[in-house]
Amino acid sequence: MTTGKSRKRPVIESGNPQTGINLKGTFISVMLLGVFILVTWFGLYALFLSR
Amino acid sequence: MHLHKYEKIWLTFGLGSLALFLVIIGFAAFWKGTHPMSHIETIDPQNVEAHESFKPENLGLREVAEGKYAVNIVASAFNYNIGTDADGKPVKKIRVPKGSTVLFQITTKDVVHGFQVAGTNVNMMVEPGHVSRLETVMKNAGEFTVVCNEYCGIGHHQMFATVEVYE
Repeated sequence: MTTGKSRKRPVIESGNPQTGINLKGTFISVMLLGVFILVTWFGLYALFLSR
Repeated sequence: MHLHKYEKIWLTFGLGSLALFLVIIGFAAFWKGTHPMSHIETIDPQNVEAHESFKPENLGLREVAEGKYAVNIVASAFNYNIGTDADGKPVKKIRVPKGSTVLFQITTKDVVHGFQVAGTNVNMMVEPGHVSRLETVMKNAGEFTVVCNEYCGIGHHQMFATVEVYE
């Protein structure tokens, strides 16, 4: 959707056929959160098993 | 149905985590024997002495087999009754060798108390009318403080004892 006078930069093409929005940052953030949850969980479980 | 490539990766990760954690629950429940501390066994909180394990002469630490111990404790505001020593003084410290299997059996006469051997996995709620049990192997040597971790009243902070695991 473009308005003729808009000076906004066009959304970077990512090859996503549905939105055309680049979701790489979203994906990396979500995976980092997932990895953080798993690492802390297994850290605590290891503590439980060692005691 | 079209799924974005990132969404497929994320769904695989999520479903994989779900499967992994279900396996861990099975491992904990069936292999490690993790279960709730109160075993639906009830006791009259106003007459705990009627229970064999909580008769005054049966309180405290005793060796039930080679390397196996049982500790019977009656909690009340604001004390853990772990029996009396040879001089008739209340026991505040129990000593077990490293690697021994210890069964803690504890009940309360009045309100809800906690029983946590800080630094170990022994951590239970002690509810009036129930017997809380936890069997554990004392893997690590050291001196561990027993604390009440359920606020039980004005003297809550004075409820403590010590478990010493010696080499």
